[in-house]
Amino acid sequence: MTEEIPRKLLDHGFISEDQYSKIHLISSGKIVSVFYELRSLFYLGVLLFTSGAGILIYKNIGEFGHVISIIVLILLTIACFWYVYKKAPAYSNSSVISPTPYFDYIVLLGALLFISVQGYLQFQFGIFNENLGLSTLVTSAFFFYVAYRFDHAGILSLAITALASFWSISISPQKWYSGNFLSSSNLHNTAIVFSTVVAVVSLGLDKKAIKTHFTFTYLNFCSLIFFIGAIAGLFIGNLWGVYLLLIYSGCVFTFYVARWKKSFLFLIYAFISAYIGTTYLLARTVLSEAIELWFLYSIVSCGGFIYFIVSFKNYFKQKS
Amino acid sequence: MNFAYKETDLYNLVVIKETKRWFKQGFITEAQQIAVHSAYPSAFYHPNLIIRILLFIATLLALSGVSGILGLLFASTGEDVIKVLCVIYGIASFYFLKKIFIENNKHYKSGVTEALLYHACGFVIGGVALMTDFNMYALLLVCLVVFSFAAIRYLDLITTLAATCSFAGILFYACYDTGGLFRQIIPFVIMISFLIVYVLVKRIKKKLKYKFWINNLMVIESLSLLLVYAAGNYFVVRELSVDMMNLRLEDGQEMPFAFLFYGFTVITPIAFLFFGIRNKDIILLRVSLVAIAFSVFTFKYYYGFGHPEITLTIAGAVLLGISILLFNYLKTVRHGFTRENHLAEKWGSLNLQAFIVSQTLGGNQVVPKIETGEGGKFGGGGSTDSF
Repeated sequence: MTEEIPRKLLDHGFISEDQYSKIHLISSGKIVSVFYELRSLFYLGVLLFTSGAGILIYKNIGEFGHVISIIVLILLTIACFWYVYKKAPAYSNSSVISPTPYFDYIVLLGALLFISVQGYLQFQFGIFNENLGLSTLVTSAFFFYVAYRFDHAGILSLAITALASFWSISISPQKWYSGNFLSSSNLHNTAIVFSTVVAVVSLGLDKKAIKTHFTFTYLNFCSLIFFIGAIAGLFIGNLWGVYLLLIYSGCVFTFYVARWKKSFLFLIYAFISAYIGTTYLLARTVLSEAIELWFLYSIVSCGGFIYFIVSFKNYFKQKS
Repeated sequence: MNFAYKETDLYNLVVIKETKRWFKQGFITEAQQIAVHSAYPSAFYHPNLIIRILLFIATLLALSGVSGILGLLFASTGEDVIKVLCVIYGIASFYFLKKIFIENNKHYKSGVTEALLYHACGFVIGGVALMTDFNMYALLLVCLVVFSFAAIRYLDLITTLAATCSFAGILFYACYDTGGLFRQIIPFVIMISFLIVYVLVKRIKKKLKYKFWINNLMVIESLSLLLVYAAGNYFVVRELSVDMMNLRLEDGQEMPFAFLFYGFTVITPIAFLFFGIRNKDIILLRVSLVAIAFSVFTFKYYYGFGHPEITLTIAGAVLLGISILLFNYLKTVRHGFTRENHLAEKWGSLNLQAFIVSQTLGGNQVVPKIETGEGGKFGGGGSTDSF
């Protein structure tokens, strides 16, 4: 069907002959874009290579071959960064267009190889032996530098996860699933404080117009960590009222972020957390026994929510 | 059978979506885009993906409340009545979806419609399954019918996928139950049937009459190709034979006709890749990439899984090499292929990519509280996540 649309629009005078000939080439399949395929290949290559290389050195520590492999890795890291520095445009506070299509992946490769090398050096020479946490902090600082210097949102998320893990907060679905997130007793409070501080910092940066396109990544991580922390607090301690208030204020904040950034991912976080929070509140207070009331509650609350979204549909339109 | 939506609305929505993509790629100006939008108005309520997910979750929660209350009301009526009621409730949900959401409120794939649709399918299939005591054939058959109905009528992609899988299931069990020779030729039955399906779908796609189902047809096309490959894959055939047909194999022993399946494992992906490139068929290309990866896995599985780290490193280096070569090769359009992104797709957003990076690559190492001898942090343990 998409093949016939350009022709029709041309016939009705919506597009010019010149535009038609360009669009037609693509919609008729005469030119095929392998943009995403190439990028997936590239990404997979980086992923496999860096994981393989990391395990490779780790397993062969103390053997003869590993000296060669570590030298190769260091050389590769240097080569990556040499390439990146040579090609990269000057630093700018706004978003920067990559000089070559695979520039971003070379940055990623270099940064990941760097952690492998750093991990090796730490293991072999015990640079940070007294304080393992410090090395995470170094990794995080390095990632932040790379992310800002080369305008790389992917590295930025690695930097945030590394910084979070310095505070023992693990941002990984597998860990949440296995319950390791709550391994230490006050971790949920750390999570709440951490995410609030990072969010405030990122809003400050946004205000100063420094890399405003990074704000989404920051706030995405912050809201996730905040809500997980607050919900955990809700279920664990006796102070559930406090955590409930925290959840609600988080919801108000993410709701405004969703509107401001026109990104409704935040709305999902807000909805799910508010729902869990409110359900918990009701379970503790009104609806303790009667199962019928629970069913009515889910119909009314979700029905109301759907009605709200649908009636204010213009409010929730993505910017085109 | 026709779709449940109004054709002009559907058509105009496609026009709007297409021109939006052209505008994003800089083929047309904003004024042109706006002009097209006002000339092709679509009354549909079709929100963006995130809102759809949100509405989907909320609708499922609300529906669980509805079914819960109904369940309580009819709990005492006895098992036989419940079975029938399930089917009736499912059919009523279909009707409700069409009348209230599609006709009156003009919902089109809004999240609410999907939730109601799967809910309806679930109850009809569940009810029939209870009535027939979970008879495999009846279950698969009703799955095929209900999912096909949902797919055709509501242009839904997930039910298309489910319907195709049910069809494959019917073929498989028919051969399996017949026994004897038929059990031996299951791979060939599946391969030939889905090759036929593939050719048919290719033909149907060309017909203008079926243009609104183009995405459904593409789903069937991809899945057929995958099934053709999987049915001939050595790993799949061997493991299924051991599991389901009590084939006993000693270590190092080969199953009958092993050479044939080794051949398919190698030749099918290469054939897909060859025809994909020659015919500029992006679906064949994508499937061939997946198939090649799985073929490599198959051979590694039986011959030396001993050094996964070396395999990983070499595979990564090879992939990097190939993609850099291709990037450079496709700098200009060659044989109709280009590395440039012509049409922005939903999933192409940078933010999503950033999130995937953080979830699949290193950086997730939590500092262990108790110091152990292990280094605790080496980048990139996340090789288990698929991309």
